[in-house]
Amino acid sequence: MSAQPYGLIATFKTAPALYHAAEAVRDAGYRHWDCITPFPVHGLDKAMGLRRSIVPRISLVGGITGFCTGMSLIWWTGAVDYKLIVGGKPLFSPMFAFPVSYELTILFTAFATIIGMFVLNGLPMHYHPVLKYDQIRRGMDDTFFIVIEARDPRFNAANTRALLEQAGGEAITELEP
Amino acid sequence: MSSHAASAPAALSAAPASTAPAASKALTFGLAGIVLTALGLFVSGAKVVAHSWLVGVTYWTAIAVGMLLLVLIHHIFDASWSTVIRRQFEHGLAAFKWLGLLFLPLLLASFLYDRDLIWPWLDLNREIHGGHTVGHDPLYLKKAAFLNPGMLIGMTIAFFASWIWLSSRLRRASFTQDQDGSLGWTRHNRVTAAIGLPIAALTLTFAAIYWIKSLEYHWFSTMYGVWFFANCVRGALSFGVIIMVWLWQRGDYRGILNTNHFHSIGMLMLAFTVFWAYVTFSQYFLIWNANVPEETFWYNLREINHDGASNQWKWIGIFGILFGHFFIPFFFLLSYRFKVTPHILRRIAIWILAIILLDLCYNIMPALKDSHGDALPLLSLNLLWILTSVVGVGGICVWAYLRSFGTAKLIPIRDPRIGESLTHHE
Repeated sequence: MSAQPYGLIATFKTAPALYHAAEAVRDAGYRHWDCITPFPVHGLDKAMGLRRSIVPRISLVGGITGFCTGMSLIWWTGAVDYKLIVGGKPLFSPMFAFPVSYELTILFTAFATIIGMFVLNGLPMHYHPVLKYDQIRRGMDDTFFIVIEARDPRFNAANTRALLEQAGGEAITELEP
Repeated sequence: MSSHAASAPAALSAAPASTAPAASKALTFGLAGIVLTALGLFVSGAKVVAHSWLVGVTYWTAIAVGMLLLVLIHHIFDASWSTVIRRQFEHGLAAFKWLGLLFLPLLLASFLYDRDLIWPWLDLNREIHGGHTVGHDPLYLKKAAFLNPGMLIGMTIAFFASWIWLSSRLRRASFTQDQDGSLGWTRHNRVTAAIGLPIAALTLTFAAIYWIKSLEYHWFSTMYGVWFFANCVRGALSFGVIIMVWLWQRGDYRGILNTNHFHSIGMLMLAFTVFWAYVTFSQYFLIWNANVPEETFWYNLREINHDGASNQWKWIGIFGILFGHFFIPFFFLLSYRFKVTPHILRRIAIWILAIILLDLCYNIMPALKDSHGDALPLLSLNLLWILTSVVGVGGICVWAYLRSFGTAKLIPIRDPRIGESLTHHE
C-alpha cells in the first residue's frame, strides 16, 4: 500500500444521517468528496453545497450552433454553391431553411447535452478506487457512504477521520488508490 | 417524506381569507367595461364593437378552456405536483356559465339586428368580391352544411354546454372530496377526464373554427384548432402563475408551494411556448411555401394594403407575434432562476397574457375592412373597445373565480396525492 491513500470512506445507515454528515463536510470546506447512495436523495445537492450544473449552458451553445449550421447550410448550398430556382422561391429565405435549422437545433442540443454530461462526469470511467472497497455493493442496496479524497487540500488523515466520526460515520476505512 | 402532509395543512383548516371586497371590485370593473363597450356602439358602430366583443369573449373563454384542459390532464395522468394548484383552476371554471351568457349578445345581434354583423356567411345576400352573393359562392356552398345559422347556434350551445357540464362534474367531485375524503371522487374525476379530453379537444377546435376562422370563410388551415389549443393552455398556465404568486404574497400559499412548483409550471410554460411556435410557424410556412392564392390572401391581408404598402398588422405579426409571443418568452423561460423566482415568473406570465390578446386581435380584427378591402388598423379607436371588452368580460370572470374561491378549501386537502404535492421534489 502506497503512502498516500485515495481517500477515506465512511458508512451511514440512514439517508438523514448521510444528509447531515454531508452538511458537516460541506461546512468544513472540503471540495473533492462525494456521496454514494442507493437512490436519489432529494436536496442532497444543497446539503453538499453543489452549484447547479453548467450542462444547460453547454446545451444552449449546442442549440445555437445547430441553428446557425442549418441556416448556413441551406444558404450556402442554395444561394452560393449551386444556385437553382425552385418553385419560384428566392434562392435563400429563412422560411424554408427553418425546418432544417430547427431539426439541427434539437440534434446539436442533444449532442451537446450528452457530451457535456459525459465530460463533466468524467465518463466513461472504467475504474474507480471505491470499487475495491468490499462493502461498496451495499451502496446499491441499503447503505450510504461519504468518500473524501486525499487530493483535497484540506485532507489530513487524522482530522478528516475525526470529522467523519463526529458526523456519525461508521467503519471509516482508507481506500487504496 | 409524506409525514410532512400531516403537519403542513394545519394552517388550512381555517377558511381562506375573505375575497369578497376583491370580488365586488372585479364585478364593478366588469360592469364598467361592459357599459363602456356599449357606449362604443354610438361612437364606432355595431360592427367594430361586435368584433371587439368577440375578441374579449374568446380571450377569456380561451383561458377558461385552458384551465379545464389542465384539470382534465391532471386527472388523466394521475398527476401529483399540480394537486395544490388544481383547486384554483377549478375555481376558474366557475366562469363558463357567465362566458356563455356574455357570448349571447353576439348571436342575438347577428340574428335580430344585422346578419352581416360578424360572420359574413350568415347573410346569403351579402355581395362579395366578383359581383355575386354569398349564397351563390361555390366556396360557400361547399361548406354550407357546416356554416349555417342552425349549426352556429347549435354548436355554440354545445360548446358551452359541454364545458359547463365537465366543469360542474370536476368541481362537485373535488369539493365533495374535501368533506367526505372518499377516494371514489378521484376515480370519478379520472372517468370525467377520459370522457372530457376528447370532448374538450373537439369543442375548442370547432369553437375556433366557427367563431374565429370562419370570419374569412374562404380560408382554411388544419392547424387552426391546434393554434387555439396552444393559446388556451398558455393562457391558463400564465393565469395560474398570477394566482399562485398572488396567493403566495398574500400568505395563503406559504408552506404549501416550494421552488419546485414554480419550476414545474415554468417548464410547462416553456414547453407550450415552443409548441405554440411550432404550430403557428407550421401554418405560416405551409401557406408561404405552397403559395396558393386561396390561402395566402389571409396573410396578405395582414401584411399589405391593396396598393402594396405595408400595414400595421405586418409589424404586429413580426414584433408582436414572432418576437413577443415566441422569442421573448422562450429565452426568458430558458433560465432556471427566472422560473423559480415568483415575481419574475409572474412578469413573463403577464407578458404572455397580453400577447395572447394581441394574437386573438391579429386573427379576428382584420376581418374588419375599409372600402378598398384593406384591414382596418389596430392602433385606432377600435383598440379602446377591445380593451373595454377584455376588462368587461374579464371582470365578470375574475368575479366568478373569487366568488367560488371562498366556497372551498385553498387546496384539495383530502386528495390522495396531496402529500406528494406538498413535498414536490423535497
